[in-house]
Amino acid sequence: MSFFFQELVNGITTGALYSLVALGFSMVYGVLKLLNFAHGDLYMVGAYIGFFLIQFFGGAAHVSIPVPLLLVIMFVVAAALVGGLGVAIERFAYRPLRDAPRIAPLITAIGVSFFLESSALLLFGAQFRVYNTAEFISLSSGIRIGSVTIDSVQILVLVLGLALMAGLQLIVNRTRLGRQVRAVAADREAAEMLGINVNFVITATFFLGSALAGIAGVMAGLLFNQVTSTIGFIAGLKAFTAAVVGGIGSIPGAMLGGLLIGIAESFVTGYISSTYTNLIVFGLLIVVMLVRPSGLLGRVQLQKV
Amino acid sequence: MKGRLVLVAAAVGSLAVAGCSSSSSSSSSSAASGGGASTSTKSCVTSIGIEAPITGPVASLGTEQLHFAELAVSMDNAANNTKITLVQGDTQLQPAQATTVTQQFISNSAITAVVGPAGSQEVEAVGGPMGRAGMAFISGSATAVALTTGSYPTFFRVVSKDSVQGPQDANYIINNLHPKALMIVDDQEAYSTGLVSAMLPIFQKAGIKVDHESVSQKVTDFSSLVAKVTSAESVVVLPWQIAANAQQFGRDLAQEHKTAVIFGTDGLFSPGTFTISGSYVSSFGPDITAIPADASIAAAAQSKYGSFGTFGPPVFAATHVIDEAIASVCKAGQTPSRANVLAAIKQTNEPTSILGQPISFDSHGDLVNGKFFLFKINSTGKYQLIPS
Repeated sequence: MSFFFQELVNGITTGALYSLVALGFSMVYGVLKLLNFAHGDLYMVGAYIGFFLIQFFGGAAHVSIPVPLLLVIMFVVAAALVGGLGVAIERFAYRPLRDAPRIAPLITAIGVSFFLESSALLLFGAQFRVYNTAEFISLSSGIRIGSVTIDSVQILVLVLGLALMAGLQLIVNRTRLGRQVRAVAADREAAEMLGINVNFVITATFFLGSALAGIAGVMAGLLFNQVTSTIGFIAGLKAFTAAVVGGIGSIPGAMLGGLLIGIAESFVTGYISSTYTNLIVFGLLIVVMLVRPSGLLGRVQLQKV
Repeated sequence: MKGRLVLVAAAVGSLAVAGCSSSSSSSSSSAASGGGASTSTKSCVTSIGIEAPITGPVASLGTEQLHFAELAVSMDNAANNTKITLVQGDTQLQPAQATTVTQQFISNSAITAVVGPAGSQEVEAVGGPMGRAGMAFISGSATAVALTTGSYPTFFRVVSKDSVQGPQDANYIINNLHPKALMIVDDQEAYSTGLVSAMLPIFQKAGIKVDHESVSQKVTDFSSLVAKVTSAESVVVLPWQIAANAQQFGRDLAQEHKTAVIFGTDGLFSPGTFTISGSYVSSFGPDITAIPADASIAAAAQSKYGSFGTFGPPVFAATHVIDEAIASVCKAGQTPSRANVLAAIKQTNEPTSILGQPISFDSHGDLVNGKFFLFKINSTGKYQLIPS
């Protein structure tokens, strides 16, 4: 039974990361109907920012400020800078193509993805950058129940991830900005006619989604330790899958999709074999899509003719 | 998603090859690498290609290979008075991309031989075209057994093959670590699955219970897999190529309070990156910083490119073999061509090399009397050679 709970904890932790990245994917799709393939690369940029902040404050073995303060700085700075980068990408790469055929911004998104990846390679080199989290957050800290171990980094990722998801839900459902985002997602032209500043709403959406990706990147660095220019590809792929399975455009759907994929991967690896993880997990996802083509929490789009 | 990568990678690769035709390392006045006698430069002008994963998930290894090839060309040009230029081809460790790069190299008549590619799966993809073009190519890291069974007549390697490493490592584990059960995890690449195929029968014959797992090189979260390591499994064998992944695997073991020892193959030899105390790592090459005769090369590489692992020095050796073959052709008064450079490479007989062992090839292109070295990582993360 302890093995079950260990795999569950591992799966939820990984799933929380997928969910955070999937949220940005889903939000952008919701307001722009754009598959932002560069989103995974924003996660990569966030991970690099976290790494360089650790170096700035003395390196993993000699952090010169209290560790909680370092973590706060890492998350806040990564969120701000990656959020800003997301806004810049929207302003210069996507906005000029907003009324172009949908294939144009899609290709641009792929181009932006390669641009970010190659830029990181040129700027930071090909070598793995290692957080060395264990140097400043002890592996022995955390909770141990029987043989189930939840270390403090996992707890941090779980708590912060769930808090951010809850916070986003509050913003979307309880604030003026959230109402505007939902209005633009439902019908951009109608929202504009009602006086909503659509450009501002889209910019805010990109900022929020990108900031979450940046925070997820720092979390991934703390959890998995390594950063390279290519880590965004798999993260983006998993997040895209999570968003689609949950119902692309649906914020609770993105959360649910991410958690489901994380948990499914963990249990297939644990109880069957890592050899078949992708085969079985993505096979299950195909079944889900066949049964519910709009995703688990997605709405069926009716088109009037 | 993957389709976009293949398409764009093909385009980028083509551009890289085309664009890099003019970029090369040039003559240098740096310290000589030892080797052939001075040669007339009048006709000794040629190009060699290098196929390495300069970008992509193992770019750190590929750039190290590129750097050591550049260093070798630079030193050999100075020593032999040749004008060999290096043409880069980025394979991203993808067979399809390696094929594209190879076709570019073959159509470039200035290229007389090729260093690389890095991966066994890539050699399998380009071996046919290289053979038909009569182009010699020497890999510094492809170790799959099947590569030297006669299918690729212009292929050579300066490292030993998996049929040497796999059994050597498996027997060491059985005789010295005495596990009752172990986990072995391949990374779904030919290098890794080849080694697993070589080791599995030996473990099974010794009566060891084996849990064979498989994860992609792109995976960085091993917590679920580590949870599967039982208390009876005292060894986890990782025939991987990405040291940072093994480091994370080791951290996950510690985080879940597992005491299994990691045994890595040569792809994990990376001091500074893979530093899990108590782990073992085999290597096709020694730590060249510990070989006095290699001091000047190690110092030059260190000052020019920073720290390095074991993927660079064999590429230096491979490049040096080609450089010396070209120099010998020129010394004989001939103009370097694919045919005479290939013939000269077959005659290679270097009494010593950067790898601390002689280099000559058998009729299938294998290194004669190749061997592997075994290291244990101590509590400070330092690699200590285990006497054989």
